[in-house]
Amino acid sequence: MKGLVALLVGLVVVLLLRSTALSAFAARGIVIDILTFATVFWALRHGPSWGATFGFAIGLCADVDAGHWLGRHALVLTLLGYFFGRIAATLVRDSARSQIVLLFFATFVHQAATVSFELGGLTGWAYLVMRSLVAAIVTAPVGTLLLWAGRRMIGHSLFGNVPVQPGKAL
Amino acid sequence: MGGLLPPAERRSSVLVALYVALSLLLLTMGDRVPQASLRGAGATLFAPLDHVVLAADRLWSASGENRALHERLTGLELENARLRGLVVENQRLRDELDLPAVREHRMKAVEVLALTGEPYPAAATLSAGRRHGVREGDAVVTSTGLVGRVTEIYGGLSRATLLTDPNAAVACEVESTGVLGVLRFAAVPSPRLLLTGVPFSDTVQVGQRLLTSGYSRRYPRGIPVGRVTRLGRDASGLTQSIEVQPEARLSRLRHVFVVPGPGSLESQP
Repeated sequence: MKGLVALLVGLVVVLLLRSTALSAFAARGIVIDILTFATVFWALRHGPSWGATFGFAIGLCADVDAGHWLGRHALVLTLLGYFFGRIAATLVRDSARSQIVLLFFATFVHQAATVSFELGGLTGWAYLVMRSLVAAIVTAPVGTLLLWAGRRMIGHSLFGNVPVQPGKAL
Repeated sequence: MGGLLPPAERRSSVLVALYVALSLLLLTMGDRVPQASLRGAGATLFAPLDHVVLAADRLWSASGENRALHERLTGLELENARLRGLVVENQRLRDELDLPAVREHRMKAVEVLALTGEPYPAAATLSAGRRHGVREGDAVVTSTGLVGRVTEIYGGLSRATLLTDPNAAVACEVESTGVLGVLRFAAVPSPRLLLTGVPFSDTVQVGQRLLTSGYSRRYPRGIPVGRVTRLGRDASGLTQSIEVQPEARLSRLRHVFVVPGPGSLESQP
């Protein structure tokens, strides 16, 4: 129950920020992909099941809000949440280098996959790559900085122990 | 968290497979889902939080905005005094020519609570709805030009589809020449607004202003829409493809005005 409440609070905070403060930045070309950041964070912190659940839930909310291509954000963020949840146990999650690489990769994949729906294919591939790269370049350092600030604020790691799979050593 | 979701690897694989299947189902059959009611519920739920978040932003910019608005108000009052004289003259000339009276736009100021879409906003949640007299189909404008159209009403809130929505289309005319065309948003190869359906026989020049045309059934006539920035030909090579810069700054929407659409005006006594 506690986990579900945390997930709902996380969803509300992310969606609120996305539709208010971050939309003003986005319109000026500075896309901070908070959906991806939140999904990656959730997956690294809570593992693949919760990562996929969070990705699906927040992606679905973003799809309903957008009004076009219901399921595109949900699909990509589910897979990203699951993937990062699976590899979470094999990473030094508090390492800034790991975080920046993960966020860069995740943002690029999310943007490229979702923008390709808007373009109706890969006809505008140059724009697609440029937009995905710009979003990844912005989101990765900003996200890493946020994680660092969060760690400093609470005084210990943001990532607890990822649920260990039975029979699988960390 | 492990209490609710089983931690076993096999179980998480099943879970992700279920989500993926649901996502694919929505991608193929999502149009049948009643999204408007879901968006309405979401907008109503988020509206108080949006107000709180936006209050800080409004306070931050209030001082500078207030000064700029006072300067603008003074300028507009002077211009208004001059225009009143012209209105009287125009009315007298229209009477002599037996032309129908021009309807004035009744505008209602509303606040933009949230924007949807990255990097360019494609929709906006407005702080007024059915209870405030806003109707589906009403035009949404700023002091500089057209922004979009109200497409969903939720009681105390509404949702406007902006010019940058992929499905938006606005019948326009070039102000000085009356050349007609339809303004659409194009995402490929890069996002921009295009005036389409203009034959090569019609002359359009860079810098000319576009207004909503009298042929539009969706927007009142004469609302500024944008300015021509670039001329080209469409993919078929049969008509012109004219790039347009919107008059309204879609990236800085805080307050907008709702103008009754042609449908609402027709229903008036």
